[in-house]
Amino acid sequence: MLFLFGADTALAQQKVVTGVVADKQGISLPGVVVSVAGTSVRTATDSKGKFSISLPLGQNTLVFSFIGMQTLTVKVEPGKNDLQITLENASRDLNEVVVVGYGTAKKGDLTGSVGSIKGSDLIKTPASSVDQLLEGKVAGMQVITSSGQPGAGAQITIRGQGSINADGNPLVVVDGIEYGDAGNLKQINPDDIESIDVLKDASSTAIYGSRGANGVIMVTTKRGKVGQSHINFSSLTTLSTLQNKLDVWHDPVQEATIENQANINGGVVPLFTGQTYGGTYYPSLDELRGLDPNKPKWPYNTDWADLVYRKPISQNYTLSADGGDEKTRYAVSLNYYNEQGLNIENGYHKYTGHINLEHKLKPNVTLGTNVIITQTYDYGQELSASRSIIFPAYNPDGTYFHIGANDFGNPLQTAYTVLNTSKTLDLLSTAYVSWDIIKGLNLRAQISYTFGNAVNDNYQPRDATNTGNLFQGYGDINNYNNNHVIDETYLTYDRDFGKKHHINVVAGFTNETNITRTSDLQGHGFVNDVLNDQNLASATTQFISNGETKTVLESGIARVNYSFLNRYLFTFTSRLDGSSVFGENNKFAFFPSGAIGWKVNDEPFMKNITQISELKVRASYGVTGNQGIQPYQSLSTLGSYKYYTGTPGSTSFQTGYGPPYYNDGSNVNSKVFDGLENKSLKWETTSQLDIGFDLGLLDQRFTLTADYYYKHTTNLLRAEQIALSSGFSLIEVNDGTIDNKGLELAGNARILQGKVTWNVGANIAFNRNKVISIGGGENIESNGADIESIRAPLNYYINGQPANIFLGYKFDGIVQKAGGTNPVDGTPATVGDIKYIAGGPLPVGQGEYIIGNPNPKGYYGFNTSVKYGQFDLYVQLNGVYGNDIFNFAKFTPSAQLQAWTPDNPTNAYPSVNSTRVYYASNWYVESGSYLRIQNVNLGYTLKPNLIKGVSNLRVYFSGTNLYTFDKVGPSFDPEVGSNGQNNSAYLKPRQYSLGVTISF
Amino acid sequence: MKKFQYIFILLAMTVVVSCKKELEEKPYGFLSTTNFYKTEADANAALIYAYSILPDLDYYSRNFIVLTELPTEDVASAAGKSADEQLLDNNTVTATNGVLAPAYQFPYVGINRANLVIKYVPAITTGITDSAKNEILGEAYTLRALHYFNLVRLFGGVPLHLDPVDDISQTNLPKSTMQVVYGQIISDLTKAAGMMDENVRLGRVNKVGAWGLLSKVYLTLASAKATGSPGYDWVTSADDMYANAKQYAGLVVNSQTVYGLDPSLTNIYDVNSKFGPEHIFDASVDRSGADEGQYSKLPLFFYPNLNFRLPDGVFVPGGFNEFLTEPGIYNSFDPNDKRKTQLIISTIHDVGDNGGNAGTTMVLSITDAQYRPFSNKFNDSGWTAGQQTSANTPILRFSDVLLIYAEACGPTNDGYAAVNRIRARAGLGNLPPSLSVTDFRNAVIQERSWELCFEGNRLFDLRRSHQMESVLENVYGKTITGDPYYFPIPQAEVNQNPNLNK
Repeated sequence: MLFLFGADTALAQQKVVTGVVADKQGISLPGVVVSVAGTSVRTATDSKGKFSISLPLGQNTLVFSFIGMQTLTVKVEPGKNDLQITLENASRDLNEVVVVGYGTAKKGDLTGSVGSIKGSDLIKTPASSVDQLLEGKVAGMQVITSSGQPGAGAQITIRGQGSINADGNPLVVVDGIEYGDAGNLKQINPDDIESIDVLKDASSTAIYGSRGANGVIMVTTKRGKVGQSHINFSSLTTLSTLQNKLDVWHDPVQEATIENQANINGGVVPLFTGQTYGGTYYPSLDELRGLDPNKPKWPYNTDWADLVYRKPISQNYTLSADGGDEKTRYAVSLNYYNEQGLNIENGYHKYTGHINLEHKLKPNVTLGTNVIITQTYDYGQELSASRSIIFPAYNPDGTYFHIGANDFGNPLQTAYTVLNTSKTLDLLSTAYVSWDIIKGLNLRAQISYTFGNAVNDNYQPRDATNTGNLFQGYGDINNYNNNHVIDETYLTYDRDFGKKHHINVVAGFTNETNITRTSDLQGHGFVNDVLNDQNLASATTQFISNGETKTVLESGIARVNYSFLNRYLFTFTSRLDGSSVFGENNKFAFFPSGAIGWKVNDEPFMKNITQISELKVRASYGVTGNQGIQPYQSLSTLGSYKYYTGTPGSTSFQTGYGPPYYNDGSNVNSKVFDGLENKSLKWETTSQLDIGFDLGLLDQRFTLTADYYYKHTTNLLRAEQIALSSGFSLIEVNDGTIDNKGLELAGNARILQGKVTWNVGANIAFNRNKVISIGGGENIESNGADIESIRAPLNYYINGQPANIFLGYKFDGIVQKAGGTNPVDGTPATVGDIKYIAGGPLPVGQGEYIIGNPNPKGYYGFNTSVKYGQFDLYVQLNGVYGNDIFNFAKFTPSAQLQAWTPDNPTNAYPSVNSTRVYYASNWYVESGSYLRIQNVNLGYTLKPNLIKGVSNLRVYFSGTNLYTFDKVGPSFDPEVGSNGQNNSAYLKPRQYSLGVTISF
Repeated sequence: MKKFQYIFILLAMTVVVSCKKELEEKPYGFLSTTNFYKTEADANAALIYAYSILPDLDYYSRNFIVLTELPTEDVASAAGKSADEQLLDNNTVTATNGVLAPAYQFPYVGINRANLVIKYVPAITTGITDSAKNEILGEAYTLRALHYFNLVRLFGGVPLHLDPVDDISQTNLPKSTMQVVYGQIISDLTKAAGMMDENVRLGRVNKVGAWGLLSKVYLTLASAKATGSPGYDWVTSADDMYANAKQYAGLVVNSQTVYGLDPSLTNIYDVNSKFGPEHIFDASVDRSGADEGQYSKLPLFFYPNLNFRLPDGVFVPGGFNEFLTEPGIYNSFDPNDKRKTQLIISTIHDVGDNGGNAGTTMVLSITDAQYRPFSNKFNDSGWTAGQQTSANTPILRFSDVLLIYAEACGPTNDGYAAVNRIRARAGLGNLPPSLSVTDFRNAVIQERSWELCFEGNRLFDLRRSHQMESVLENVYGKTITGDPYYFPIPQAEVNQNPNLNK
């Protein structure tokens, strides 16, 4: 909080000094407090950063202080009355405020492990949600953006996977609102973010109790600053392109030759012989080559990549205003974001409005409100470019070409005729009162309300998709809405006792109710496809489903910070949570934690070592929980299903009810019968030890933070398989233990200061994940159902092994000599087949082995910025190493050209074979290590006030996802989900952006 | 200032009010056992829920047929299908074979649902007549018996759940012996037959169905004992069991008027004739269902993955080509057997044309690697697009019971008359007279293979007559590795049920 004092001092005025204060980029800084050292004379800079102050007689030292900047002390030389002051960013200022949940703390006083990012460090790249921008920014926080689809989110994991079936996402808290899971925080415009603080250890997250185990991401939006108003406008225009050339067919003769060979090898008649098959004419190889004397050369060579991919332009505009005086502060902004997908007919629009108001009603009472409204609209879908190039996209009459009657893979038809849209509206709102009751004692009451609404429209015409054909037109409207009310009241008592003792106590109550309603309207069978899903009542068959879930969380919170001599810091934090989702025997949970910190550098014996500006040793231990399960899992619930008892043709199904609850996985062998109650169901418990230190050298020019952590999660919430003879499949239980141990290092160096400044930041985390026990003994649990292409699950949990390891057979090259049998399915082994080794130690299939581990050994980020004059350059790299990827897309067209043949007895690829069944083996497993040049940003800032009225103007060029060093094929991205499966996700674009920011 | 304090205290109070009551969950849209089973409609809904497991894709509409047909000489798994199916076709079945788990689990899902009816419906006292209550209970007992009959024939001794499972402590029962399981099946069916009426309800079972199933159970015991099939040593007398089988099959053949032989073979499998005289009990579906289990994809397993017209002009918009008819069954038919000429398709028309009349005609060969003549027992003449069909899977047909009657009677006049009725409908002459008891019964079992092929009976007929090796290996040259008479209990059950072998 800044206080303004008029310059109307009664002291004798001997000398008036004027000047301008700006930051390193030359942006003028309003609201900077300018004071005369040793006196109470103060003023503040105006909207253009100008100030005027009178120096009392005998005083010649000015002190400039501003939040987020290093305080600067300047001696005014005689005769110099007009000063140009440049304040340095205090990126590691120990007085920097960190948001810690129900309060704030000075960075220098933290006893827990918290990673902080400034809003100004985020907005370098176009992104639909904040999450994607966090990649590589905080040690120990892994962000995986595996899809490049507009509007897609990211997967965020803090300190390793600590959960199996329950939600493993960190909690996101936006301006004090416990908003929900991290992953797609699209509601917040990155331009509106003041700071993001990532709470990692138990001491920091225990205040969020049963939701703290996966870490907490605190997002703080911008407030107005005391001083005069600013109007800002920023614009970012982005060109997206494919990162790499796709591995698809280019030569029709090659494709047809391989296809024919694959059919011959598979015991099926080859198609490309100049015959009509299934209603489609398949040209012969000679015809394709133009060597058939009776036929003209085959005219088609369809470049699908060219048809379904494009180089779209996307835009992002933000207009904002902020400011305030001593009584009232405000910040408002509007954002329009338009991202166009690499695939045609696919895009995402977003409008965000943000208002923050704070008013001092009385000297000791402040009212405030913060409102964010976001509307999104996305449309279209991922399209495949891996279609046969031999056939055209369209028939001569302009209709879409199908290869045979049951082909629904024409991507142009999907793009142009399948309706797939989603509209969302989100509101986050908070109103609060803060009352300083007596000195040091503050009461804050806050009511937050969030609302979320989503409507998805889907229509699949009868000849465009398989589903559309199955139902002769398939329409679906899905509605979702969510109301979430949070009441929070807490007292903060902050006081010094004598000169040695300081305490800060927070205590309060919170109450949350979260209600979600859903409904789904589906129609099957339409007269024609003209109306899409606009008249579902006209469908031959209609299906309706609806649901509502309600969860209640009631909590008490308490935190005590005590410091002795400002050197020895103690923190005790706890939360009592009562949650409706748990079983009736375990409704309440208590989560305590404690931490100590020792500011070694403030000890008298360190006084002489002035090079060390900070040395703090920290240790914390505590218990947090994870209650991330669906409501009603602890209850016995009944299911319903229909049975046909009528005459053919008429709809005469009767509905049956009863246990078990029936959960249709829709695929073969994936039905789940659950609903067996567990009255003792409770939270997952994570106890975490954290030991770390913060070291700063040469007035924080070089800093290093290191943390060792040991996270021990027990009572894993998971669906345990139960005896098939019970008539149930699963029961929700607390069973199992998983450990994550790791080391995090984060360093920053201001290598050059002065005319040229050069900063380097780097962070790396090494995490070791181990499943300690699941289901006891030698139990093996698959994560996920059968995967179609390998006809088995891939990821498993096995005691003593990392989570999600791949199981499969050993790849032993290619069968070069006929004879013997395939040990997996007992069929005769033929030459050119993959040679498997079965009989492994694990009782899965015919004896499988562990063939890969998708957990990275380490993940890291690196950034550097250079400033010279008006130019600035920023580079961000990030990557992971030591993990495996299971590459389902291994046998690409270029690989098929290297397939086994009698003339090419390779051991790298099998022969092509259209009927071969593939099994999981390490043939598919590739290294997932990569290093990505995530962002290069080159900017030029005009000198302040060069254009009248413009206080700041910066133009920059930004390149995103510029290059990736990896070991996987060029046509896919190594950044795959945490299960390590490469399933041809929507390709991530390489982006080139031109940005402008102007402040008035 | 005072005003603010009051407002503040008010605000604070809204939060402090906290009690455990608010944390109780009241599920929305879910019935629970406490507010259900109150009325006749509830009882009926509970019974329908028990029935609805039958046509599931993991039971009669797919998995049960896959499991019971692939090991026999009826069908083989086409190239490119799953390892589990290939291994099943080769009679090399291990406990991890994925086809086993649903075949084991789904009967238990049905048993649990039947147990709920058996436990809760008797307590409904108001608004329900005794006859309605008895009908519902009788059908539930029949369903429970059917599931255990399937389990015991597939796996041998299995855990016997007679009460609904509503707590985790009840989930791990040890195996009961086959004798105990069969005892329960007979007791349930006998009780059920005394509770139900003879009214025909599509997809549901009645008194005649219980008689028929009971005769099939007794015949299984009789023939298994008589032939020394493994696992049936405990059966005291084969002759007593044949007599019981004859008694109950006789009730179906002679003592009721609602079922009989359909003079037309194709009419039996016509989806527009589901009330035809042969349908004693079907797993019932309709193409208008929301998902597989309410409709069936079973015909697609037999059909080539082409668009074509059947000889009767019915358009088939593409199958899966999952099953290939084996030469074993195909070549064993008399060339004039109508069950071959009418029910197995060897010529398809308008191939490749999407519902038009322009495509080529294709003659299918039983030796072809890709497309072979296929059974048209599962079909749907009203199917025009997509994969939804109304093809029911028969659980018990009249001709099945008629052949049970013949086999139970042995080479008597009644026995000959019964089997010859079946042969006559197929356009074949009578069985040779004066066959020995063994030869006659083997001839009836052979007749069953032609009459009931592809319907999930052959495996059980070969097992109960102790002919797995002699027929499958010696006659048809198939391989058998491991126990041909019982599938292993699935690994998932072995892993999760520590009491299984206690």
